[in-house]
Amino acid sequence: MASETDHSLGEAVAARIERRWATLSIVIVGVLVGMATYIGIHQATMPQGRVETADPKTLHLSGEFVESNLGSEMQADGSVTVRAIGQQYSFTPQCIVVPAETPITFRATSADVVHGFLIEGTNINTMLVPGYVTDLPVRFKAPGDHVMPCQEFCGIGHQGMWGKVKVIDKAAFRDMAAAKRRLTCVD
Amino acid sequence: MSDQPLFSLRNPWFGASVGITAAIAVLSAVAGLIWLPLAQPNLKLAGVWDAICSAAGVPRAAVQETGIKPDFKTSNVVMTSEMLTKVNQVSIGRGATLAQRCAICHGPQGVSDAHSPNLAGQFAAVTYKELNDFKTGARVSVVMSPFAAAMSDQDMKDVAAYYAYLPRVPSNNLDTGRPAPVIVVTGAPMRNIAPCGSCHGDVDNKAGSPWLGGQSAVYIKAQLEAFASGARRNDISQQMRNIARQMTADEIDQVAHYYEAQP
Repeated sequence: MASETDHSLGEAVAARIERRWATLSIVIVGVLVGMATYIGIHQATMPQGRVETADPKTLHLSGEFVESNLGSEMQADGSVTVRAIGQQYSFTPQCIVVPAETPITFRATSADVVHGFLIEGTNINTMLVPGYVTDLPVRFKAPGDHVMPCQEFCGIGHQGMWGKVKVIDKAAFRDMAAAKRRLTCVD
Repeated sequence: MSDQPLFSLRNPWFGASVGITAAIAVLSAVAGLIWLPLAQPNLKLAGVWDAICSAAGVPRAAVQETGIKPDFKTSNVVMTSEMLTKVNQVSIGRGATLAQRCAICHGPQGVSDAHSPNLAGQFAAVTYKELNDFKTGARVSVVMSPFAAAMSDQDMKDVAAYYAYLPRVPSNNLDTGRPAPVIVVTGAPMRNIAPCGSCHGDVDNKAGSPWLGGQSAVYIKAQLEAFASGARRNDISQQMRNIARQMTADEIDQVAHYYEAQP
């Protein structure tokens, strides 16, 4: 009789413990999913929304990555689109000029191997993969100069590959954009 | 409990765990595939199905926007590392005949002292690209442009194959003991200059980059200055202009004389 009571008591304890552990693991999964959602919405991580392709061998022949179309473009809605390519062993344009406090979209790709796209002093850090277009919405808070080193080993001349990003005042940029349709700060 | 089947809907543990797992999966999918993409206004999604496809990574070709066309001729050569690397005897033979008209400047054996490029042993893809650029007007030379204008695509490939077949001959200025300048070996990383050798041989070769050993110093200097000033613009996507712009006059001088002295 006594052993029967012990058995049902043990069963109740086991059920309670199992329920608690199950709840805890569900909460952990829920927190992780919620965390990913939160940082996704607040752009702490910027996973690319679209997969776009571009043939690395023919970037210079047609499309948006021809030499004369690279650089910063003022859009009708006041935002700025910057187009650039990475190649062994430089970025074109070598110096990118953008306005502060303005929504900016970087569109870039690689003409040969995988390159890195990192702007020092910001959380902008992605890869330029041959065949695919990297599309990154960003915003610079204040004017200033940043360096943009290739952060992905791209060959024997990798250490010499970097560009500059010059963030300038919004009004100054608007004046520049009035005179020229694609802006760079290459001297 | 032990006599109850484990995988059964009558088992409340089974029902609850499968139900909760499925609910988490569905909620995560809705968040990741629909909510998050739609929360990005710059994606300009056409609807729920578009959001799901783009979040799942269905590739699409980049929109061919009407960008700004160049106001000068750019190279239209599609450069690959395999380009013209297969030896073809017929092509070499035709090229030998065609190359007779090149001999007055480039030498009967592809080597001369006329400060024109020495073509013997040059990569076929390089000679072909430059001929093609002269023909299309991406590169301009009062001497070369008229020659290239009359050549067919096959002619250019044949001439390129012939010169690639000729053995390299050291120039009269050969001096293998000459120390390599810093810019050739390590570049100038602080000025976005990769080592010359990382594309032009010795260390590595990038498709389309010429072999520079034994070239005339006068010629190398003139080309670097033309790239730096933007007078020469047939380098695809500014790959050489980006480098030459950053080089000092002294560095240009050093590399010109260094490469002239190399085999």
